[in-house]
Amino acid sequence: MNRLEVNGLNIGYRKTSGEVVPAVRRVNFTLKAGMSLGIVGESGSGKSTVARALLGHCRPGGVITSGAVRMAGQDILALPEAERRALRGRHIAFVPQNPLSSLTPHLRIGDQVLEAVRHLRGFDKERARARVLELFEATNLPKPQELYERYPHQLSGGQRQRVVIAAALAGEPELLVLDEPTTALDKTTEAQVLELVRELRERFNASLVYVSHDLGMVSRMCDRVIVMHQGRIVEEGAASTIFSAPSHEYTRQLIAAIPRIDAPVAERPMRQTDSPPVLEARHLRFSYGATGGWFRRTRAEAPVVLEDLSFTIRRGETLGLVGESGSGKSTAAALVAGMLSTDQGSMAFNGKPLPGLATQRPLALRRQIQIVFQDPLSSLNPRQRIETILSRPLAMFEGLKGDAARARCEELMRDMHLSPDLLECYPRQLSGGQQQRVAIARAFAARPELIICDEVTSALDVSVQAQVLDLLMELQRSKGTSYLFITHDLGVIRRMADHLIVLQNGRVRESGPTEQVFDRPQSPYTRLLLDAASLHAVQPLAQAVSRHRVSPVPTSSHETDPHHRSTPGQARQLPAWP
Amino acid sequence: MKFKIDRHILLRPTSLLGLGVVALHLILAIGAPWIAPYDPTALMGGRIESPSAEFWMGTDALGRDYLTRLLYGGRTALLATFTGVVAAVSIGSILGVAAAYFGGLFDDVMMRICELKLALPGILFVALFVTGFGESMLTLIVLIGLVYFPGVVRIVRAQALTQVNLGYVKAAQLRGESALAVILREIYPNTLDVVYVEFAIRMSHAILLLSTLSFLGLGISPPTPDWGLMVSEGVAQIAYAPWLVLAPAIFISTLVLGLNFGAEALASALGLDATRGHVEGS
Repeated sequence: MNRLEVNGLNIGYRKTSGEVVPAVRRVNFTLKAGMSLGIVGESGSGKSTVARALLGHCRPGGVITSGAVRMAGQDILALPEAERRALRGRHIAFVPQNPLSSLTPHLRIGDQVLEAVRHLRGFDKERARARVLELFEATNLPKPQELYERYPHQLSGGQRQRVVIAAALAGEPELLVLDEPTTALDKTTEAQVLELVRELRERFNASLVYVSHDLGMVSRMCDRVIVMHQGRIVEEGAASTIFSAPSHEYTRQLIAAIPRIDAPVAERPMRQTDSPPVLEARHLRFSYGATGGWFRRTRAEAPVVLEDLSFTIRRGETLGLVGESGSGKSTAAALVAGMLSTDQGSMAFNGKPLPGLATQRPLALRRQIQIVFQDPLSSLNPRQRIETILSRPLAMFEGLKGDAARARCEELMRDMHLSPDLLECYPRQLSGGQQQRVAIARAFAARPELIICDEVTSALDVSVQAQVLDLLMELQRSKGTSYLFITHDLGVIRRMADHLIVLQNGRVRESGPTEQVFDRPQSPYTRLLLDAASLHAVQPLAQAVSRHRVSPVPTSSHETDPHHRSTPGQARQLPAWP
Repeated sequence: MKFKIDRHILLRPTSLLGLGVVALHLILAIGAPWIAPYDPTALMGGRIESPSAEFWMGTDALGRDYLTRLLYGGRTALLATFTGVVAAVSIGSILGVAAAYFGGLFDDVMMRICELKLALPGILFVALFVTGFGESMLTLIVLIGLVYFPGVVRIVRAQALTQVNLGYVKAAQLRGESALAVILREIYPNTLDVVYVEFAIRMSHAILLLSTLSFLGLGISPPTPDWGLMVSEGVAQIAYAPWLVLAPAIFISTLVLGLNFGAEALASALGLDATRGHVEGS
């Protein structure tokens, strides 16, 4: 019998004018007991809307216009709200995307899960507490007793997600809906959480609905996969066949767009290795707190974020910096860009010393080093038209004004494969991919020799990501610009970088030509990273499962609690760039 | 789409009512010299005449036409508060953005000044100020500016703080823009929606403050027509000529109410209030 049956589901969003805009159209699928189903699609495809509707819930403004969601034969959409609420947690549970915002900041972790256990199971306090500790153990959380007393901000991202999963399991639901549960996590942590979900599914014999934009990952987690595009199901099939024989054009596009770490490094043009170095960095070191503010005393033991980083970037070449969050790769970008200044070490640009802060660099140097940020929308001023955004660097660096500036703006837009008509738009009116192209255009407006790409594709959908990467490579070929390319995505870096530096906790673990690092990784950490990432490579399910019964990554440093010794009040805050 | 204004909210009944009342007050105040039947300071009739065809709202204790004085009173109120609030909001918002941008000592000093002002009992501060500098239109305008700028600094600073770490600000800094250019060209325009709402709210506060001051004899001095002053002069006759108090009181409260509704409508139309659920795709 089908545990879950969705029939002709239509969902729309009500605009303030009262008009309902359809977001999900005629969605049908079934899920058998103990099976798992993956829902894949880009942002805006309606996948999260469907996931919420399985619990009879909508985001603000959402309306389920028609259709049925049957759990064990009963249409939950037809139930009164009170009965529907009784179903949630006990029969069907939801794991949201962002674990930090789904935990209450001022309550202890244990008490939050305790509340769920008491409410759902009606246990008394003692029994419920024991149950919470069991759940923490089941979700592989270290030292459950200690963790019980902690606050959400004292946990790492992976631990928080485990806590949320533990809370979802409190009522022993038969169906677990996970909405992008690992999107906010880095790859190694993601691998651990996925392994946990797989384990729990067997142990609790729960059915699973897994929503994600990552087709590769979903096809290994799930038995069946649904591909959604613009609110419709475009393809449905067994996970093992959807890769080998995608029937819909959109699925083929999705598969082709995934940067693969096992792909040949082919299309890259061969570079002359003897081209002159553009940027040379020697023994860079950075720690927060070394440079104090007005009233802040210099701390004796400032945390070192980056230690002894040396590299050379040659003309027309791409150097990749890879690492998980907290590895110091973004700090390295900030140092080269001149947002931070080093404690020790030196940089030279075209053979001349490069001053630390951008404000100390002469105009000609500032022009030659440009940066593109991760989030395209926030890197463009929302109150300026695209033309204004592009004109400013033109005026500063080239003295271009009026018609000459306009002509150059149009040329830049064409270089980015964007219509010059978009110059009249405001950033919000563009798509994510277009916004990032404008940000790239702004960097190229200065005719720089070096562009720092700081996670430029992590905020974009896979298909858009592929286009942006192609564009960057095309521009590099035609203009001979060097890139310092920073990312956590090994597939992306394999495609882009000539040379690679692997960072962990601010230290270089490995460096060398990209192919060499991928084919013959020397350090155990690199192998670990590659293992975690290959879990995401595109391959048939059976093979993946046999190859990657992931040996749970042992006590690796990022999963241990970063705030272990700190009390709530002095929890370390993420330092912001000045 | 410079501002994302939600027209449907502006067309709600309360919004229309608020904006309509404010517009009416503006028309009456600006057009007073043409609309008003008499000169506001001319002694036209007997003392405290009841409303009649000749004097629609009667006359006051000196025999001046009350309707004329009500219309001119709006001019006084709006002129003094508008100038003062414009000063408070424009100076306060730029200081607020600067405090968020520079941080450090400048921010600390700005915030302590604001807290100092907020810790002082309002009426005491105002009374001391007026006693010290004398009752004049200029004193009142400066006073309103001083009273309201700390609040504006704090609100705009909070809004600017959400912006200073965004990529577009960093990009401008790395390009080598001067601090003034980053503040005025990049960040300031992104706080404008807060600034506009702040302006509308402060206006309604300022009108009340000015009327209170005039009522207490610390504000506008006779014979300039002013609502607060008229209420205070009419109190003595409230037993047999209640309209002398009621009419200016109604003018004050409708204007304040209108400004409040208007500010609220503006805030929700600009998406600044947390209560309105927002619609988004998946």
